[in-house]
Amino acid sequence: MRPLAHRLRRRLPGLAGGILVAFVMVVLFGPVLMLALFSFNDSSIISLPWEGFTTKWYEEAWSNGQARDAVVNSLIVATIVMVLSVVLGTLAAWGLTRLRFRGRGFIAGLNGAVLVVPWLIIGVAGLIFFSEIGVSLSLETITLMHLVVTFPLVVAIVSAGLVRFQRSLEEAAIDLGATQRQMLRYVVLPQVGPSIAAASIFAFAWSFNNFEISFFNGGFEQTFPVWVFSILRQSENLPVVNAVSTVIAAAQILAVFGAWALMKRLTRSEGEGSETLTGLLTGGAR
Amino acid sequence: MESATIPAPAPRRPRAHRWLRPLAFLGTPTALLLVLFLGPMLVMLGVAFDRGLLDGGQGAFNLTLTNFSDVITDPLYREVAVTTFEIATAAMLAQLLVAVPLAYVIAFKAGRWQLPILLFLVLADELNPMVRIYAWRMLLGREGLINEGLMRIGITDQPIDALLFSQFAVTLVLATSYITYTVIPIYGAMKAIDANVFEAARDLGAGWWTTTRRVLLPLIAPGIFVSLLLVYIPLFTDFASPALVGGTSGYMLGNVVNDLVLESGDLNRGAAMSIIMLVLSALFALVAYRLARINRLES
Repeated sequence: MRPLAHRLRRRLPGLAGGILVAFVMVVLFGPVLMLALFSFNDSSIISLPWEGFTTKWYEEAWSNGQARDAVVNSLIVATIVMVLSVVLGTLAAWGLTRLRFRGRGFIAGLNGAVLVVPWLIIGVAGLIFFSEIGVSLSLETITLMHLVVTFPLVVAIVSAGLVRFQRSLEEAAIDLGATQRQMLRYVVLPQVGPSIAAASIFAFAWSFNNFEISFFNGGFEQTFPVWVFSILRQSENLPVVNAVSTVIAAAQILAVFGAWALMKRLTRSEGEGSETLTGLLTGGAR
Repeated sequence: MESATIPAPAPRRPRAHRWLRPLAFLGTPTALLLVLFLGPMLVMLGVAFDRGLLDGGQGAFNLTLTNFSDVITDPLYREVAVTTFEIATAAMLAQLLVAVPLAYVIAFKAGRWQLPILLFLVLADELNPMVRIYAWRMLLGREGLINEGLMRIGITDQPIDALLFSQFAVTLVLATSYITYTVIPIYGAMKAIDANVFEAARDLGAGWWTTTRRVLLPLIAPGIFVSLLLVYIPLFTDFASPALVGGTSGYMLGNVVNDLVLESGDLNRGAAMSIIMLVLSALFALVAYRLARINRLES
């Protein structure tokens, strides 16, 4: 009796921890799994009973012009935003961490402010701004506003990477005869490469997932989140939305795990690989 | 190293050149922020203080405070503000209740599962929020799976309507939307703790509750304040979740802004409401930031 109680007491914390983790995972991913499951149900009502397996909702989604346009629009906008954010954000991060000049504090503060102000308010401000200056809303205005809220995130992630790594290495490279360009290529890039990779993934996801800003700053052309929102405002749940959502969720899962595998390879050379990786994964916390 | 040859000091650059490098690196990003972030904010501020065309404004700028006073004194909006506060606070508390033990498990008990669990948390955040809201709406509806399941097991014989289009639904969806940003700062604070302090507490005769209250919580307090800073502000300004699962009882301040701006086209009052929410966010951020700092100094 005694050993059993003892063993139980020793195992209990681990068991409780396991149950907690399992509970959180079920709550976070269970609904999305159900959504995916019901995209294969042969019934226009999303509920039990199970009527049989079908892929017709996927065919319907594929031939649904609005859905396809929305996804394509989101992909185009997110790609442009990602590329420009990484370029502008890396430039700004380098300027803010490596150059001394007057007004540096103001610019750093402005970058930080963008990350704290809620997207709803930036979205409304953008709408009012564009209407006051007489610019009509379109995918271009969405892209511009996404860029403005996204590149400061890249600045934050890449700056953190640049601060972590020692400047004396740059000076050593220059002392040993490297040119400015060689120093950047062979000393700085390998060090901040993982940060830039992480930043680009987050930048793409921020733009692709952004609803508030796209909603207030978009015209007739919808992005994917705006399309889902407008469908759900108008009607009951639709299996076609299940199908499109499943494809998107699957792609996002693949992207996150792919990025993880890639970063694992990039950071393997360093000793503190997993620490760095955790830092990068969590660095995008808004 | 420097004893061999000391290079002659470079000639001082002319004044104008000192600005060249900062300008090259920061010119475009800063211009973008000034024109498309600060610009819209200032225009919105102006519009909030302007008498709109709907109220007989003449097109030129007419300074007025009526937009603010109308929004603040409206009893309906006050009720919505209370609802918003209740929902955001309930969602925040629910998240903290899960996040603190979860962060503890990840930091101290998970072993080799640590990184995979963190990765799944990141994944939960990267999933499209609209997909997540839709998934919940599908589960919680009158004919949704949860009601179907409950009726089949025989817990209820009628569907529970309050599952969807209620404050409960909004709280649940919001709590699952931001959990990543609640857990990770607390996890960060826990990683910084030397696990020996728990053993020391146990050796000194403290039970788990005393250890949690007197040792763990004070040490992770800065992390909790960072979580509050990151999560509470987006929670109280959210408008997609209440719009899709809130119905009329889960109507929040974000919906007020949306309705003012897009439904009634009243940019002036919409701007005033946005400014008020911005000020509230800033005040909240200031308090949380101070508390996080003070705690760091003490510990």
